[in-house]
Amino acid sequence: MLFSSITFLYYFLPLTLVLYFLSPGRLKSAVLLLASLVFYGWGEPRYVLLMVLSILSGYVFGLLVERYRKKRAGRALCVISVGISLSFLLCFKYLDFFLENLNRAAGLEISLLGLALPIGISFYTFQIISYTVDVYRGERAQRNLIHLAAYVVMFPQLIAGPIVRYSDIAGQLTVREHSFSGAASGIRRFVIGLGKKILIANQLGELCAGFRASEEKSVLFYWLYAVAFSLHIYFDFSGYSDMAIGLGRVFGFRFLENFHYPYISASITEFWRRWHISLGSWFRDYVYIPLGGNRKGQKRQLLNILIVWMLTGFWHGAAWNFILWGLYFAFFLTIEKLWLLKLLKGSRFWPHVYTLFLVMISFVIFNGESMGQLLSDLAGLVGTGGIPLVSAEAVYYLRSFGIVLLTAVAGATPVFRSFMLKISKDPIGGKVLNLAEPFALAGVMLVITAYLVDGSFNPFLYFRF
Amino acid sequence: MDVEKKDRAVCLMFALMLAGGLLLCIFMPKDKYSDSERRMLTPMPGLSAGNVWSGRFMSGFEDYAADAFPFRDAFRRIKAVTAFKLFSRMDNNGIYEADGFLSSVEYPMNEADLERAAERFRHICDKYLTEKNKVYLSVIPDKNCFMAAASGHLAMDYDAFEGRMKELADFAEYIPISDLLDRDDYYRTDTHWRQEKIGDVAGRLAQAMGTHLSQNYEVHRLDHDFYGVYHGQSALMLPAEELKYLTDESIRNCQVYDWQNKREIPVYDFEKGEGRDPYEMFLSGSLSLLTMENPCAQTDKELVIFRDSFGSCIGPLLLEGYLQITLVDIRYIHPDYLGKFIDFDNCDVLFLYSTLVLNHSDTLK
Repeated sequence: MLFSSITFLYYFLPLTLVLYFLSPGRLKSAVLLLASLVFYGWGEPRYVLLMVLSILSGYVFGLLVERYRKKRAGRALCVISVGISLSFLLCFKYLDFFLENLNRAAGLEISLLGLALPIGISFYTFQIISYTVDVYRGERAQRNLIHLAAYVVMFPQLIAGPIVRYSDIAGQLTVREHSFSGAASGIRRFVIGLGKKILIANQLGELCAGFRASEEKSVLFYWLYAVAFSLHIYFDFSGYSDMAIGLGRVFGFRFLENFHYPYISASITEFWRRWHISLGSWFRDYVYIPLGGNRKGQKRQLLNILIVWMLTGFWHGAAWNFILWGLYFAFFLTIEKLWLLKLLKGSRFWPHVYTLFLVMISFVIFNGESMGQLLSDLAGLVGTGGIPLVSAEAVYYLRSFGIVLLTAVAGATPVFRSFMLKISKDPIGGKVLNLAEPFALAGVMLVITAYLVDGSFNPFLYFRF
Repeated sequence: MDVEKKDRAVCLMFALMLAGGLLLCIFMPKDKYSDSERRMLTPMPGLSAGNVWSGRFMSGFEDYAADAFPFRDAFRRIKAVTAFKLFSRMDNNGIYEADGFLSSVEYPMNEADLERAAERFRHICDKYLTEKNKVYLSVIPDKNCFMAAASGHLAMDYDAFEGRMKELADFAEYIPISDLLDRDDYYRTDTHWRQEKIGDVAGRLAQAMGTHLSQNYEVHRLDHDFYGVYHGQSALMLPAEELKYLTDESIRNCQVYDWQNKREIPVYDFEKGEGRDPYEMFLSGSLSLLTMENPCAQTDKELVIFRDSFGSCIGPLLLEGYLQITLVDIRYIHPDYLGKFIDFDNCDVLFLYSTLVLNHSDTLK
């Protein structure tokens, strides 16, 4: 189930909220677990069993790791638990990729499994790994299976993160505070996230789909696509994170931030401190540091960076473009670490241009459906292949999506937030804002609902009657 | 309002919206058909273990939830207005408005579809016609031809379109008509042309095919308001239009036979005129094969028109010049079956198609 659906907004969420807030405190996690399983099973009922198996494995190994963590067996149990979690991920997400490449390289004809990717498997696998490793590192194992299961399967962050670390919410699984102010801030965050997804990201997605379908490409169109996709992925992903954080807040959880205006970064290093923060910090704490981090000399550090970023790319999808995307960042992060970062600090404007350009190119790589398409997209940006500079379609799309693009550009910076903060500090402005906020949120919800309802617009093609 | 009150108001607002939405979704009566979109709405999927396990129930329910949402058309209107007014989008779901005229973006020209259409026409000629048959082709430009470029929307090169069709259908004599048309010859809220405005087009076609129309038509008006297909699809509030139709002696005395349903039908079906799609009053809408007999004919000429929905409207205007006109829609009947119904000896043949169908000719059998 998606947050951005009528089913979620007007069936699942109200029923879940009613059940959750009517149930006594000790049953709240169980209600959340039950709702999360329905939420998960709605998309792919067969894979609920896989998830239950993953949870049970995490639960049993957590207890065992805690029991033996001071002995050698503890490390072995931790490795086995991580291995089991990764084997599920490998089997469902990566096996076909490996087989396909093996077939290609060795001229074999091994049949692919063709398994559907279980929704959220990349996120919940990492959460289970974080739990086992945190227990190995000294965190207390969760004895209540319902609490652990609720942590893994919690619907607000199940599908698109953020990757919630067990150590960050261990206490909240048992005791959490519910208040009007917490719920209101959660609702605000949720509605903003939903607006980012429906009103901005989806429209930019239309532009990108229009570009892909067009047979009238031009240099302008390629650039328009690159900018639109960079904004689309930011608003889509950060919108989901906002919704997750907001819903978590409504249910009394405090999830860590996942995005912090990444497009105002002045270096790639800074960009990755602001973009998908939970993934970056997960790889740092569970891969980079265990590999030795920067403690074993510069050569080893650079190798560690390469490994971590290749894995980061691969985590995003089982395809070469994702690996290339990770390596691309490894390359620039290495250069910045070696010498460029110092140089970038000397200027205010150019580092932003440098960062935005490289990030935009990275997303063109990210979105390439094949290596051929990826190369053709990159070539299109520089106008190779005799394509015209401008085409009628590019101009049309630019005009049609101009306001959406401008809104997205402004929304990707702290401009709106600073403006609202400034008004709220003014005594009269603050009162007006307080008065207007519930109505503004209701208005945004209405418009979002309108977009969701219209999403099934599917007219009969009358002219062919 | 202090912060605490505001927080309570936010929670209350959200709770009311979700609870209200849920209750309305569950208890409000559901429509089965969307008049504005002219389609059946998705029904509630059947609940069974098999449907749930396979995921069919869930995917069906997603479609149902959006289709059955209370006040669907009002929400679609909010979306359309937001798209046009707030985001300044040039179109909404491919439909745009310019100076009170609605149209859908038709772009680009699909070369392969034009080739396919010409190939289907050629197949008919090869199968049924001899050198004695005179074959004509005319392309009806869609409304975009007269409004898209001017309003900054994507516009096909209609001269190139016409030129390409002429080239591909070199077995037919081409009759140009686009110079006789402009935007006002089409309904504001519909795809189609207005019958009362295309007398000159009928005259041109008749003249080119060697016959003459006196064009002494009487203009009549349908009693109730006409809202075209784009009116509902756009979800915008545009005023109603008048649907007019023409009669003359030939039309009044004409006998129309519907081969598909094996029955006599009127030239203007007023029952359909009061239905969901009043434009279907012209020769009862989408029928595969019709014969119009003209007892008042001063000639023994016969014409077979291969046509789309635009042809239903202009067909009656050509009656005066013929003893019999046969209208064939090869989107609904395979051409290979036509020999059972039509005697092509000594007939003139006109391929009369709109750019909309030619540009998406996969519908032609």
